[in-house]
Amino acid sequence: MRNLDSGKAGGRLNWRQVRTLYLCELRSALRERIIVINSILIPILLYPAIMWVAFTGLMFLEGIKEKAVSRVAVQDWPDQHPDLRLKFERDRQIQLVPWTPATGTNDIKTGSVDALIEFLPPDDSAAALDRNFHARITFSRSIERSSAAQERAADLLNEYRAEWLTREAGRRGISTADWEGPVVELKNVASEKEMGGFLLGLVLPVLFGVMVAVGCFYPAVDSTAGERERHTWETLMSSAASRTSIVTAKYLYVATFGGVAGILNVAAMALTVKPIFAPMLKEAGIHISFTLSPAAVPFVFAAAALLAGFVAAAMMIFAAFARTFREGQTMIMPFYLLVIMPPMFLQIPGLAFSVPLAFIPVVNVTMMVRSALSNQFPLLPIAITLVMSVAMIAACIRLASVVLRFEDVMVGSYNGNLNRFIRERLLNQPPNKPFSPHE
Amino acid sequence: MNDLPVRVNALQKLYADDLRGEVRAVDGVSFECRSGEIFGLLGANGAGKTTTLRMLATILKPTSGTAHLMGFDIVTQPEEVRRHLGFYSATTALYPRLTARETLEFFARVNGYPEERVPGRVDFLIQRFGIGEYQNARVDRLSQGMKQKVSIARTVVHDPPVLIFDEPTVGLDVLNALEMQKVIRGFRDEGKTILFSTHIMSEAEKLCDRIAIIHRGRIHACDTLENLRAATGKHYLEDIFVEVIGRAEAENLSRTPAS
Repeated sequence: MRNLDSGKAGGRLNWRQVRTLYLCELRSALRERIIVINSILIPILLYPAIMWVAFTGLMFLEGIKEKAVSRVAVQDWPDQHPDLRLKFERDRQIQLVPWTPATGTNDIKTGSVDALIEFLPPDDSAAALDRNFHARITFSRSIERSSAAQERAADLLNEYRAEWLTREAGRRGISTADWEGPVVELKNVASEKEMGGFLLGLVLPVLFGVMVAVGCFYPAVDSTAGERERHTWETLMSSAASRTSIVTAKYLYVATFGGVAGILNVAAMALTVKPIFAPMLKEAGIHISFTLSPAAVPFVFAAAALLAGFVAAAMMIFAAFARTFREGQTMIMPFYLLVIMPPMFLQIPGLAFSVPLAFIPVVNVTMMVRSALSNQFPLLPIAITLVMSVAMIAACIRLASVVLRFEDVMVGSYNGNLNRFIRERLLNQPPNKPFSPHE
Repeated sequence: MNDLPVRVNALQKLYADDLRGEVRAVDGVSFECRSGEIFGLLGANGAGKTTTLRMLATILKPTSGTAHLMGFDIVTQPEEVRRHLGFYSATTALYPRLTARETLEFFARVNGYPEERVPGRVDFLIQRFGIGEYQNARVDRLSQGMKQKVSIARTVVHDPPVLIFDEPTVGLDVLNALEMQKVIRGFRDEGKTILFSTHIMSEAEKLCDRIAIIHRGRIHACDTLENLRAATGKHYLEDIFVEVIGRAEAENLSRTPAS
């Protein structure tokens, strides 16, 4: 059964009713396990927990790797370099295994030897220096253990080479600076705080967009399709609240959860990143201070509000056509993926918050957060982002008001999705004009 | 006659159906209801009862015709209409995650009941319907009978002068159905106007002061049970219903041109 009548308007907006409806939605949602988990607990706990587990896991694996001994077979030690052999024998991470003429590539592939070092006579260009040698390390890049053995063997060889060259140069009265030639020195002018901001900016916006979408997802379905599935929709429709008040309250409720999820996520990450990562990085010799700049805070709030405002409105439009929770989830899913995909590309190194990027919805807001966390506030892209976001929200609300003017969509008897609706009702007028929607 | 709480005039609702084309769910229905009266809409499933009541509750918009509740137009003043109306049906469920008390407070407020009187009104209804023991329990943890009581209390929490009960006993066991009838009678005795739809003859016979027999979207008879008996010469409402429907079908056939 299809009903083509549509109402003219949703009635007056009554803020007292909006407040009552909004508080009812919030109270109800906070008692729903799935919403609390997805919109509050996951943003707070999941990503800090995942990152902590990942980092601890990496450290653990690194420790295992450090403890693992590399079995290295050496063919023909150079007689004139007894110290080199001594260096290898003293290294606890290297175990020298006997070389036989049969030792070869196959042993590396089968894992009985991790790397093979062959000392060959120097070629013509290298023969200038007396006692010079040519070492070849055979290993398999596809075997983790073999790669590690190659790195360790190469490190030892290079270390010995540098020591030997320094010694030889000294014997000839040449200083290290003379034979080393041009020296390249790196100087990082970024402070520990700036480095922290940069790293936060690289990681947080990706999760921020995802979290806002996750935060909106279940409330959007719950407040539309869920309401129909529970048969509370008709109860609400028969109350004195105007349609406009009902939709406004629901929209604010969904946007609140999206915005709160985004802010909670950023706050949780900013707070946990310091105690979790700073000591670990310090241990690795990297000094970074993870402190959220006060100037970034208003931008994070603004971004959360704008992104949640847009995502909530769009998700509610998709879910408005669903009659069951499952249907609602299915209808929202493509948009959800569309929202969480663009921020994934934001980790591209060197990507700046430029004017063209400011025109792309979702990307612009996440770039604004990234930029603010890095203590950079480019005025023009920020202004464009604000205007674009408000325009997108306005467009979604306009589309929602058009959709909800159709009685069958409002009462849940329309059999189709947003795509079909746009095709049938907005692009092609229905054949029976007398019942077609009147604006 | 303008002070009648419910006035319905030539109300019509057309649908466009993918398979059947244009469907006249309600086709020019007219009636009036008085204060302190239970007005019954009696009809088979699909006769147009629910559509008529949903239009009066402003959930659906009529294609044509007019209707006024407490003097308010259902098309131009829907919020005012709903403020003066309590709507109950088998499909008006309660919010499962709110408690019984929160449910009543919410609907009192959203229906515009004066804020300062909300707690008193809620207390009164909790006592009246005997839900005191469960007032702080979540609705989804209440028994079916308790949910029904909360649902009725929800319908009248803003003290509306007009009540619509759309097949309220569907799905209820005998005892709960009898309890429902008792409650509806109680509201009538308080002077409320009640629109009651059912397809159960005995229920209409026991409860309704006047009965409208609706068939294929049209009202074919509307009077007191006594007058319907006199008009049809039948005693039982079941027989009266069959007689009226039979005449309507015959009339319909005689109007249809032979092919």
